[in-house]
Amino acid sequence: MLPLDRADVVVIGAGVSGLSTAWYLARAGKNVVVVDKGMIGGEASGRNGGMISERVDEPDLIPMAVESLELWKTLDDDLGYPTEFIHQGRLQVAVTEEEMGDLYSERDVAMRHGISVEVVDTAEIRDMIPGISDRVLGGTFFANGGHANPQRTVQAYAWAFQDLGGEIYQNTAVTGFRVAGGRVSAIETTAGVIETDVVVAAAGPQTGLLAEMVGAHVPVAPARVEILATAPLPPLFDIALVGNGLYGRQAARGNLLFGGGPHEWIDVDLTGEPGKPNTPLIRNIARRLAEMIPGVAEVPVIRSWGGVVEQCPDYMPIIDVLDSPSNYVVMTASAHGFGLTPATGKVVSDLSGLRLGRFAEVKPGWREERGWVAVS
Amino acid sequence: MESRPLVVVGAGIAGTAAAIEAARAGVQVTLVDENPVSMSTMGLDVPLFFGERIEPALSNRAVMLGRVIAANHATAEAASAGVDVRIGTWVWGAFRNSDTSRLLDGPQLGLADDRQSWMVKYDRLIVAAGARDLGMPFLGSDLAGAMGANGAHSLISLYQGLTSQRMVILGSGNLGLNTARMALTSGVEVAAVVDAAPAVGGSGALVSELRNLGVEFYTSHTVKEAAGAEGEVESVVLVEVDADNEPVGGSEKVFAADTVCLAIGLVPNIELLSLLGCDLTFKSELGGFVPDHDEWMRTTVDNVYAAGDAAGFHDGMVLDPDIARNQGRLAGIAAAESLGAIDSAEARARASDIRALTEVRPTEVHSGWRRWLESLVNAGGPGVHVCRCEEVTCAELIGLQPPRYLNWTSEQMSRRNLQTHVKDGPVNPNHVKRLTRVGTGHCQGRLCREQVSMLVAGESGTDVADLPMMTYRPPVRPLPLKIMWPHDETEQVRTEWPKWFYPPGKVLG
Repeated sequence: MLPLDRADVVVIGAGVSGLSTAWYLARAGKNVVVVDKGMIGGEASGRNGGMISERVDEPDLIPMAVESLELWKTLDDDLGYPTEFIHQGRLQVAVTEEEMGDLYSERDVAMRHGISVEVVDTAEIRDMIPGISDRVLGGTFFANGGHANPQRTVQAYAWAFQDLGGEIYQNTAVTGFRVAGGRVSAIETTAGVIETDVVVAAAGPQTGLLAEMVGAHVPVAPARVEILATAPLPPLFDIALVGNGLYGRQAARGNLLFGGGPHEWIDVDLTGEPGKPNTPLIRNIARRLAEMIPGVAEVPVIRSWGGVVEQCPDYMPIIDVLDSPSNYVVMTASAHGFGLTPATGKVVSDLSGLRLGRFAEVKPGWREERGWVAVS
Repeated sequence: MESRPLVVVGAGIAGTAAAIEAARAGVQVTLVDENPVSMSTMGLDVPLFFGERIEPALSNRAVMLGRVIAANHATAEAASAGVDVRIGTWVWGAFRNSDTSRLLDGPQLGLADDRQSWMVKYDRLIVAAGARDLGMPFLGSDLAGAMGANGAHSLISLYQGLTSQRMVILGSGNLGLNTARMALTSGVEVAAVVDAAPAVGGSGALVSELRNLGVEFYTSHTVKEAAGAEGEVESVVLVEVDADNEPVGGSEKVFAADTVCLAIGLVPNIELLSLLGCDLTFKSELGGFVPDHDEWMRTTVDNVYAAGDAAGFHDGMVLDPDIARNQGRLAGIAAAESLGAIDSAEARARASDIRALTEVRPTEVHSGWRRWLESLVNAGGPGVHVCRCEEVTCAELIGLQPPRYLNWTSEQMSRRNLQTHVKDGPVNPNHVKRLTRVGTGHCQGRLCREQVSMLVAGESGTDVADLPMMTYRPPVRPLPLKIMWPHDETEQVRTEWPKWFYPPGKVLG
């Protein structure tokens, strides 16, 4: 039996998006319960690369990303726990002329949106990243970028939420919704029933399956991705680095953490923990890291891991309220939730461009049409 | 990609026996063993707790190879039976398709030597990867000269390069007694054999033999400190402990010794079995999480077998190598039958002498391990390092404190600790690892997993058997980027490498 069987808001998903939402709601005086089928930050929220950017790659997200970066600046103190946020900028490097062209295009987009960006030459890049390859042709530097430790961040939100009286029920899977008069009146879980005024579904890859249970169609496709970690090195660089097909950072401890490359579409269910095996792909990631920074080629890889993220058809978040049940909020971030978290938690509903209605034409079977299906 | 009918991982007693049985049945066998590992790997205490008591001459690779080849007669026997023996080759990963990973071209292993890495497909796999040294926290455990029993055994018998002069041995089970005997035989003095328990644990005959050789036993004792200048163990301070594992004031005894050897227990090397998804069950009497297997050593994953210490270690196996050898033989025969090299009647015939052997009934070990752990923390204080790589102390683990390099304090954080964490939900050592960084260092948790689980269990009032296992991830050996580098990378992976879901449909097999 659950200690609490009624709440103002039930948040499904104890990841960064759900816990950030829960924290803001608790600060506003709401009585909030967070449920998760696994542990706090057990899935993508604790497994991502920790990159935080202005999202110039998706210009519609720039306002929210910039707002997030403002919130990141004081997040440690606001939460009372460390996130390891490091705000020293983001460097994107090109190793081909084609990539350099892409960087210039993105630079132009950034400038149109008032984002601070500068093109940097190889000498400047070598100062920023000791040991970087001579193959790097140039890059762009965004001063307002950074990175943080996802595992510490998700726990910081969880603890800060609890400090405000919030309850988190781990290992508690949602099994059903009680709907009456076009509204959810309660959620059913493996540990009992919780009555609620509002449901926030911030369940990552499971967001689509949960929506199906209330008769709604939220198109998300889960995918598995991989990252590796090296042994710790002395401080080399503190900026977030993107290049040679990888993204990554040097953690506060000194480990290089880099991921990227092919993803694999998979299927998930509502109660089990999806397997997140690594594959020999980690060798290709290792090679690309050693190619990009030959100065670290001798450092051992000591670990790798996988994570499951979800993608909407247009790679953009959904933050919206369903038409019916009308007290059911959908929040999914299309594999970019971490950096945006402070703002997504704050902005629970009305970012018009992100309303679910834009997918009205997307029919069941869209994954097959796109070829975004798990190999059988 | 190279493909082999049968790969055996580990050329110890079990692996060699498995390889020879399968080869004699007509199977093309590849036997892979990581020894000799490089001096730099040894310096990281990987794969065993070597404690830096390594003869400098071994930095000459040719000398090292020569000694290892000369020492392991069984691999020579395997080679003459037709086994393809590959020494100095380690297995750092094992991969197969599953519900969420379906693009592999069959089950495969990641192999590497000191120059490069490559992948090998297998039809059948026997994991006979042995066991690793159980780590324990004491002051000075990070000094040169603090080592583990398997590290010492390996340096004595395989590398013939142990430079210790005088050793204090912790643990009086057969593992500790045998370590003492080996040390004496190779010319190392044994200053003391110590046990936190009130009685000696191992074979009475061996105890008598050692006593006759002048070895002194100290029961109800623990280590207060291993001390020495310039990063080297020079002395070991023992202290008596009472029935509550608390040190008895004034009972300290100082021993001149350059080595303190942890011979309290061994833990099965299940990394590869875990990566492959074999069902694992916690069995204290076999050293922790071990693979489920049938009477032919078949695990729950098709075509994967486990044998020897990797399938479960108990103290009786120290004095009876036939246990591991027979497990290896069974796995080798079963793999040969499974490959169609022999029929089931022939398999039963070849195994007929094995079935006649009586099984030993081992008993649980964790209460003894806990006694050691508590006594060491009580004697050494809460500042002893649980995780040497990340320098996480017992107090920091129990306080669930962020790592020191973050220099973070807050009123809120000061109210959090392992006890409050337990109230927040089911306790999971993997969660504790994320927050404190225990087990995230270059030894990949080899020396701290058991300490962490026992401390977490103790603080949470949970039976250690009920805690989730701390996960294993490839590479299960530290592997330099330039060695992990795939020289066999395909042109498609090279040129069509997607950048974070762009192009979105791109999935490279």
